[in-house]
Amino acid sequence: MEPTILLIVLVCVILGGVLASLGVHLLPVGGAPAAMGTATGIATGAIMLMFGSALTGLFTAATVAMFSNSIVLVALSGAVGAMLMVSIIFLFANVTYIFGAGCVPVSGRVAVDPITKELQTPYKTPQTDGHGLPSVCLISGIIGGFIGGFGGALIYFALINYAKLEYAMAGVLAMGIILANAIIAAYNIRGTIEGFHDPKFRTTPKALLVCFVASLLCGIAIVLALTTGVITGGAV
Amino acid sequence: MAAEIVLLFAWTIVIIALAFLACMFEDLESDTGSQSNPNSQVQLAPQVGYVHRFFNKAISGEPLSWCMYATTSGTIAWVLLKQGVTPLLAIPIGVLTGEALHVIFSTTAHVGRVSGQKRFQQPVYLDVLYGSLLPIAAFGFIGSLCITSIAYIQSNLGTLSGIPQLNHPFPFPLLCFIWGITVGAIGSSTGDIHYGTEREFQDRPFGEGKRVVYHGKITRYADCGIRRQHDIVSFCAKFGGPCTGLTFGSIILFENWRTLVGMMLGGYLPAAIGLSDTAALIGIGIGIAIVVLLLVVNMRLVRWARKTYGPFVGA
Repeated sequence: MEPTILLIVLVCVILGGVLASLGVHLLPVGGAPAAMGTATGIATGAIMLMFGSALTGLFTAATVAMFSNSIVLVALSGAVGAMLMVSIIFLFANVTYIFGAGCVPVSGRVAVDPITKELQTPYKTPQTDGHGLPSVCLISGIIGGFIGGFGGALIYFALINYAKLEYAMAGVLAMGIILANAIIAAYNIRGTIEGFHDPKFRTTPKALLVCFVASLLCGIAIVLALTTGVITGGAV
Repeated sequence: MAAEIVLLFAWTIVIIALAFLACMFEDLESDTGSQSNPNSQVQLAPQVGYVHRFFNKAISGEPLSWCMYATTSGTIAWVLLKQGVTPLLAIPIGVLTGEALHVIFSTTAHVGRVSGQKRFQQPVYLDVLYGSLLPIAAFGFIGSLCITSIAYIQSNLGTLSGIPQLNHPFPFPLLCFIWGITVGAIGSSTGDIHYGTEREFQDRPFGEGKRVVYHGKITRYADCGIRRQHDIVSFCAKFGGPCTGLTFGSIILFENWRTLVGMMLGGYLPAAIGLSDTAALIGIGIGIAIVVLLLVVNMRLVRWARKTYGPFVGA
């Protein structure tokens, strides 16, 4: 395989991994406390929300890759798929908070919503870290879904079109790289995060650096496997 | 419109209906077994003196456990299909195998967790164990059957519609893996709120987030007698379950619909030969429009709730 192609695969894997990590930091994740209305965000782990949305994006990206050779269009299809998934989850999560539990969506980390300028503190239940998904979290989460989905689809496209791997192999490798980077991001988040307005978001560069190294190692492993023939091209 | 396109959309509608059922029953199963996020309170309750009759099963997070059941079901079904067994038999047999694992894990998770709380005087109620396993297996069976059927139809969507090249490039078990993770992530994100914020703390004031001091102090009494998991399922089936089902149903609806409409308007269908960047572009455009619409609806909903419910007035 040509060195240029191997370099492109390496760059796409690194870029995809780092983007997936950045996406995780932007998703509003409240973990278990969010299920009790004790924290703002989606009531699941950061890793699983990113993994679920990126896989939905990957599903669509794989379909689009059947009839498009454009890396931008396939990656965008994955990004929009992931963005759609988180948008729908956000809507129904808020429906459940508002109509099922009677809670007003409110941020626990900022006194004023930085986008809509709505006051947050008067609506917050004392002794909680917020509840539901206020407007700023929705916007941050949708951007996060877009970035994460873009990263996952980018890796997938590079693996099928440049590395010429089989669809299933490319899909599994892309999922593995997304998962590894999401776990690193979750370690950096340490529990809950609301999005770009959360003070914890300032620690993102550290996680991105670690994810760069982790993705570089993943990329080197893939390049070595391709050059030594451990994994070979399939039916593309 | 060509018959192939009509069939393609018809099969997609079947997938959407199955998706609604899959995620609704996933949520009801998690309510029956008290899995995932609200389980933290069931686990904490005896430690704060609240001995209870809840089923305590947290095998793992919902996405991973549902991924395990769905992938096991899909893999067994795939092996049987390769042996020439009809899908009508292969898929249920695969799902039954996955459910056998589910019941084993449920038993060990419940008994292991509850017996570990002996020091807090929490007994292992055998009637709770025996009485909950069958509903767990039944809800799990329906959920897994729907996920496996969705994956089977998607991996053969082209063949079923008369355009074989449109079969999804991912193999059947991998699609089970993807939808298992996604269904679990949705059930954990949406349905758990109704159980965790409302039903688990129903003797606390309605309309507020549950304060940290309430944690572990779950509602242990039912309308009549002592509350058990069956009382929770009947409650969550009226709101949390259908909401969760709608979430996954809508995701599958919009994801497939925008791609298919893009393919149709871009001229890729019904021949499905060659390349069509226009099809991809239209799909992306429709997707972005739906996301913007959903965002606007959601932001208006937040504003409506703020205006209607008003600021917090409790102590």
